Amino acid sequence: METQTIAPARQVAPKSRFTMADVLRKLAASPEAGVVTACVFVFVCIGLAAPTYTHTGNLQVMGRDLAQIGILAIGEALVILTGGIDLSVGALAGLAGILAAWFNVREGLPGPVAIVVTLLICGAVGLWHGAMVTRLKVAPFVITLVTFTVAQGLALAITTGTPINDISSLFSRVSSFQIGAIPLPAVIFVGTALIAWFVLERTYVGRQLYAVGGNTEAARLAGIPVARRTTLAYVASAMLAGVVGVLVIGRMNVADPSVGGSGWELTAIAAAVVGGAALTGGEGRILGIAAGAILLELISNGLLALRVSPYDQQIVQGGVLGIAILADRLRARRFGRESR
Amino acid sequence: MTVTDESRSRAVSARLRGVHKSYGQARVLDIPWLEIHAGEVTGVVGENGAGKSTLIGTLSGNVNPDGGEIEIGDMLLSLGSTESAGRLGVALVSQEFPLVGQLSVAENMLLGRRPRGSKRRVLVDRRAQRAEAAAMMEEIGLSPAEIQVTREVRSLPVPTRQMLEIAKAWGREPTLLILDEPTSSLGPVEAQMVLGLARSLADRGGTVLFIGHRLDEVRAVSDRILVLRNGSLVADLNPEDATEERLVREMVGSEFTRSEPKAKLIEERVLFRAEGLTADGLGPVDIELRAGEVLGVAGLMGSGRSRLIHTVAGAQPATGGRMQLDGQNYSPHGPADGAAAGIALIPEDRKQQSLVLFAPIRSNVTVSILRRLSSHGILTTKSERAAAKDITANVHVRMQSVDQPIGSLSGGNQQRAIFGRAFASEPTLLLLDEPTRGVDVGAKAEIYELIDRAAKQGMAVLVASSELEELLWICHRIAVMNHGRVVDVVDREDATKERIMTAAAGTGSRLLETSATAELSTAERASRTEL
Repeated sequence: METQTIAPARQVAPKSRFTMADVLRKLAASPEAGVVTACVFVFVCIGLAAPTYTHTGNLQVMGRDLAQIGILAIGEALVILTGGIDLSVGALAGLAGILAAWFNVREGLPGPVAIVVTLLICGAVGLWHGAMVTRLKVAPFVITLVTFTVAQGLALAITTGTPINDISSLFSRVSSFQIGAIPLPAVIFVGTALIAWFVLERTYVGRQLYAVGGNTEAARLAGIPVARRTTLAYVASAMLAGVVGVLVIGRMNVADPSVGGSGWELTAIAAAVVGGAALTGGEGRILGIAAGAILLELISNGLLALRVSPYDQQIVQGGVLGIAILADRLRARRFGRESR
Repeated sequence: MTVTDESRSRAVSARLRGVHKSYGQARVLDIPWLEIHAGEVTGVVGENGAGKSTLIGTLSGNVNPDGGEIEIGDMLLSLGSTESAGRLGVALVSQEFPLVGQLSVAENMLLGRRPRGSKRRVLVDRRAQRAEAAAMMEEIGLSPAEIQVTREVRSLPVPTRQMLEIAKAWGREPTLLILDEPTSSLGPVEAQMVLGLARSLADRGGTVLFIGHRLDEVRAVSDRILVLRNGSLVADLNPEDATEERLVREMVGSEFTRSEPKAKLIEERVLFRAEGLTADGLGPVDIELRAGEVLGVAGLMGSGRSRLIHTVAGAQPATGGRMQLDGQNYSPHGPADGAAAGIALIPEDRKQQSLVLFAPIRSNVTVSILRRLSSHGILTTKSERAAAKDITANVHVRMQSVDQPIGSLSGGNQQRAIFGRAFASEPTLLLLDEPTRGVDVGAKAEIYELIDRAAKQGMAVLVASSELEELLWICHRIAVMNHGRVVDVVDREDATKERIMTAAAGTGSRLLETSATAELSTAERASRTEL
């Protein structure tokens, strides 16, 4: 039997001639477009309403804040891509700050060494998460919740609740260093995003991460080392949490267990989801996720600039998030595929 | 078709010696000796639980047998290792594990490996990836110009994905290609394409192990047919000897009797009528169902079969037209309205849409009549159990007690329990979507009897199925759908496969259109909300 062409001859939109409408439509159909547009919209609106918002000083503040939730969000997104979730990142960032300070001040390790040791410990925590999830099939939610609790407790136990002072000036130098007018932490965030983008889009390991999250069984049958890829995501997430922890104590110039990054994991998850990551895995791109983090920061800082009462801020934040997600779903229904 | 000594002497691609596997007392696979030859399609048939999946699992390394030896090519397979199986060239195309929807066609084609000759080890070589993916598709007759390799797989309809899955497996140049029920999600025309593909791969020297659930397909495509029963190889037949009766006899182990053809329908009272019924992707459709009539709905994937059923049930909103049920106007706003008006729906996916698998049989079969069972809004286990016993006895569910989880029953028994539940609500109109999907041959006959019984009790039955033989067997009339419309209504006496296929195929295949996928997801969503 001869093989025959199976699909019917049917012209699919010719490649060469793009009209403006096509381009717009294509943009609208991509999940990233909405959140990027929202960033611009929010920035312009608040900027017009509150002039201090766009001042260099405030932009630098936003840059430093962004480093925190943005880096956490990227790590979180890697885990979400595999279909998991990492609830420990906030608490782990808090603990990492305490550990770095403790190694530096109490154990007398030089700053750089303290940082490296801290990051290695975070990496080990990630490895533990990965092993539990891939070998013992523990639900990611559960195992990272355990770490969340233990990490918060450890931060308090190590310090007995009192802040660690006199940390190496290296910490604050890193956090306050500026390249031109741009704070170093913001640069670290952009660097992290670029690396994550490159790995996810351009390397086999990154593409395999999408496959693992999108269809684990298909990935396994195709010979992709599913357990290794999944574990990699948890390790990256935990180490990025470590980086954030180090940046935070540098910014405060003190390691305070009560700062402890509480609630940051939820912000990180929200940023990833607003940016187009699907909690079911396999979906979401770094551009959108970075934009999601930027959007959240623009909003929370904007509320300060607009002098919204601190008592009302959370309501407004939640409301704006709700609207963003609603708008995105409407867009998806109008232009794109519905499944997410 | 020539299956002679000549083809039997061809190279052996896989050899099994003394392979056996037991779970506890039950021996699920026992194959003392089996050779699978290159250049042949070897068909494998058997009832559910006959050991087909264990055989596939053993060959592909997913199942670790208790003993024996498997050679693939000339190499010994390290038993129970998917890696080893992959290295030796066993490629499995399975219904269960489709492609990664979020990735492009090209990335799926080369999932887990690099393009041949690409120098990049770490970075993705997109150009090479796309070129090789296109070549792989052309190799099996898919046109990359029409199914662009950059397209996301989930935007493609199910049949196309199935083809891509085969292209992907074939592109790995397998020593042994296993096709596990590759046509079970396909309509007749698409299925023909897959069969043609299997045939041509074997003709080009490939080794194809074709696990089939439709006997006519297996007979049409195979050079040799193996029959499994209770884990053993009970027959090894030439296609000439493998008549459908013979195969069924070997599979079931005894003579298979079908019920008498139905008497001609005399009743004239119209129970259900739809006029100009439209919904998303459906219609306008006009149909009439008389009391005691079984009306079949045939059509390809995406022709609107399930949509029609769901719209009538109220699970998908109608956008226009009128429906009448038993003389009353009927315009449902949801499946609850349908149920209240006297419609019972048995959806196609038992596990997802019908049952709570871990819950006991009694809770599963009584959900449709809870109000009747409760006194003053309170339900007692006692009354539930009593009702469940009646319901299950009525449809002969084989079980130990009504308290065991329904998931522990066989597929056929589960389906019978679902029929029992539907009957218990005493519906006027019974809607069936793929009523025998995933049940074995013996259980199928019993389900046909249940459908027959429903009709004899005076219900009107509307049944959508992708299996033509089934419709020809059970229906008084068959409505053929194409592009959301009823294009032909055939009386039982005049119904032939050819006539229905011709009407169903209409303007040709529709592989590039996504309506099939859309339909699946709509149907899924609809029924989820219903639950």
